[in-house]
Amino acid sequence: MKSCKIIVVLMAGLALSWGLFLSTAAAKPIKIGVLGPMSFTQGEGHWNGATMAAEEVNAAGGIQVGKEKREIELVKVDTNEFLSIPDATNAVEMAVSRHKVDFLVGGFRTEAVLVMQDIAMESKTVFIGCGAAHPQLCTRVLDDYDTYKYWFRLTPINSSYLGKVDFILLGTAGAIIKKELGVEKVKVAIVAEKAAWADPIVAAAQKIIPEKMGMEVAGVWRPSPVATDCSAELSAIQRAGAHIVFTTFSSSVGLTFAKQMGELKVPAAPVGINVESQKSGFWEATNGAGNYVLTINTYNPVKISEFTIPFVEDYRKRYGEMPNYTAGTHDAIKILQVAIEKAGTINSDEVVKMLEATDLNTAAGRVVFDKSHDVTWGPNYVTALGTQWRDGEMKCVWPYNWEGVTYEGSVPYKLPPWMVEYWKNK
Amino acid sequence: MRIVVTYIRRVLKILRAEVLVLPSRVTVMVFAIALLALPLVTQDYYILRIMILTSIFAILAASWDLLSGFTGQMNFGHALFFGVAAYVTALLNLRLGLPPYFSIPLGAMGAVLTGLIVGIPCLRLKGSYLALTTLAFPIILMGLVFAFPGITGGELGLSGLTKLTGSRVMDYYVTTSLMLILGGVMWKITDSNTGVILHAIREDEVAARAAGINTTRYKLLAFCLSGFFAGIAGGLYAHFMRLAGPSTLEIGLSFQVIIWSVFGGMVSIYGPIAGVYILNPFMEVLRIILDNFPSLPEMRMFIFAALVLLTLRFMPEGLIPWLRDKVESECPRCKVRNVFFRRSCRICNADMT
Repeated sequence: MKSCKIIVVLMAGLALSWGLFLSTAAAKPIKIGVLGPMSFTQGEGHWNGATMAAEEVNAAGGIQVGKEKREIELVKVDTNEFLSIPDATNAVEMAVSRHKVDFLVGGFRTEAVLVMQDIAMESKTVFIGCGAAHPQLCTRVLDDYDTYKYWFRLTPINSSYLGKVDFILLGTAGAIIKKELGVEKVKVAIVAEKAAWADPIVAAAQKIIPEKMGMEVAGVWRPSPVATDCSAELSAIQRAGAHIVFTTFSSSVGLTFAKQMGELKVPAAPVGINVESQKSGFWEATNGAGNYVLTINTYNPVKISEFTIPFVEDYRKRYGEMPNYTAGTHDAIKILQVAIEKAGTINSDEVVKMLEATDLNTAAGRVVFDKSHDVTWGPNYVTALGTQWRDGEMKCVWPYNWEGVTYEGSVPYKLPPWMVEYWKNK
Repeated sequence: MRIVVTYIRRVLKILRAEVLVLPSRVTVMVFAIALLALPLVTQDYYILRIMILTSIFAILAASWDLLSGFTGQMNFGHALFFGVAAYVTALLNLRLGLPPYFSIPLGAMGAVLTGLIVGIPCLRLKGSYLALTTLAFPIILMGLVFAFPGITGGELGLSGLTKLTGSRVMDYYVTTSLMLILGGVMWKITDSNTGVILHAIREDEVAARAAGINTTRYKLLAFCLSGFFAGIAGGLYAHFMRLAGPSTLEIGLSFQVIIWSVFGGMVSIYGPIAGVYILNPFMEVLRIILDNFPSLPEMRMFIFAALVLLTLRFMPEGLIPWLRDKVESECPRCKVRNVFFRRSCRICNADMT
């Protein structure tokens, strides 16, 4: 009888352990589609950021979904969206209907993301946008919540907030020029590449600079986005007596302009948006002439949160460059992990509820989504950064004593020394 | 009842005497049946999306052939018609709430009007001058799109259009049926007297004019007809993608149309259609194959370009005419086509060798 009991207990134990083993072995991975133009640097950023996040989560055993741990499986989705919108939509459709991805992250070109968004919403797949900045992507959530509630936008901050940061950087540089050089009326040269996205910034700058910032517009210059020579514009800017060159560049002209400005030692401070200067290769590409260029940025080895420095350093070690903002897929996956674990399921509707309640520190800052599912911007939330090149290093110079925010490791903004010398001798 | 029987007999007779005798016609028939039967085999969203876009682009490529292949009016900016129709369709749908069956034909009429506007200044131009001028028009329109973002949506375009139909299968049948019908109509046009005149204009415009043909009128007609068919494609695209954006006017699309047409075989209507049906799904097949090799996705465009180049190197008239010439030959006496193994013509019994 006793031996019978032992056998029953043993059998039960065996069955339990098999059950546990099978439930662990059968745990299907959570598939996350990473969307991006993979032949371009933006797509590489998407993929690199997501890969790092997936490896970190999987190394810790995966995402806790209810009672089981499920690993992340990334699906690389090359959208080729710079060259073909239909190609982008085919790729997303393939990810959703063939690869059966559970979640989507990424996207870059707004026109393409609008269509990708429709495909994802039709299949009720949660899609965290990391790349396109236009606010319209989120106003759709307000206009038709039931259809578009599966969309969230994480990085970069939307174009309205980018505009705000742009003018804050301009104001910061202007105040320092006034103080250090004793200039009464700071003159600003507005230089923006000839592209549609730059038009509203130029229009706003022409209005805000003289009316609200108390500075003077020295002139407006609009070089081609692919210009290989900007010396004519730079000579004109110098003749106009500008103290600041307010830049709006997303393409290769940013490199040309910064290089020639440094080589000619134009006595003005370059401030604004210069996407080329967000890349690690900028210093080598300009032969160091891009010194003192200030641009809006997303990542830098400063302590925005406890995750920022480890992420930036690991990324730099692994890929040999600084993460660009599309690498925000890293944060997107971490946010998804928390939402899924809280929901205890990967059911889209449940995950959406948890994402809406997100209040989480990520590498780019504290993420809280607003009603339109856009990331909240401001002090103590995600702020973006102002980074300045200094002798081969990209330093974070903003926020620095801004609305009570200073990130540990950031340093005060510095004017180019040749500019200080020029204006002090004048 | 008797009429139905008569018609069935007639169809069977045509089938037996005109279709089954030639491999190319049998292929077209099988292709059409296979296309219509596809949703019975699979309703995979991904496959249907690719086939829907392929049908839309096939109409676009055939419409380019109607103008540039048959009339010789080398249009390097065919995306203009496509884009104009997409924008007009989108505006009518979003601003006036017109459903797709009204907004698409009206969008196509917008493209016809554009055909007239573009056609008139282009009438006196030939060769590279005409090509460069037509290339400029979509660029000009793109400038206008960015200049009036309040109307056109600027770089975002106009999004949120009504869906083409309620379901993916219905979308498929609408676009595929339209492709088959419009492809047939375009082929019929080129096979009619008008087609012969368009041909004559391409071969020798001066001689055509000397023969009393108003070449100006016919060239304008070609621009408008081509615009109409391309416009239907643009309208379908806008409603299917639910977006009309600057990408519909991009130079890349204009060149893509030329690549499809030249690859398939110009001056045939069915050549460009076949070109799209081969190359567009081929790109997706490449995507699936290269997906398994993480380091290779960038090779997709390279393989595509290599395939097109090799085809044109060895088949200068395009793939479909080359294949047709392999399986069919033309009677030296009555010019009727026969299957390649016939020794005597099926019509005039002349010796084929």
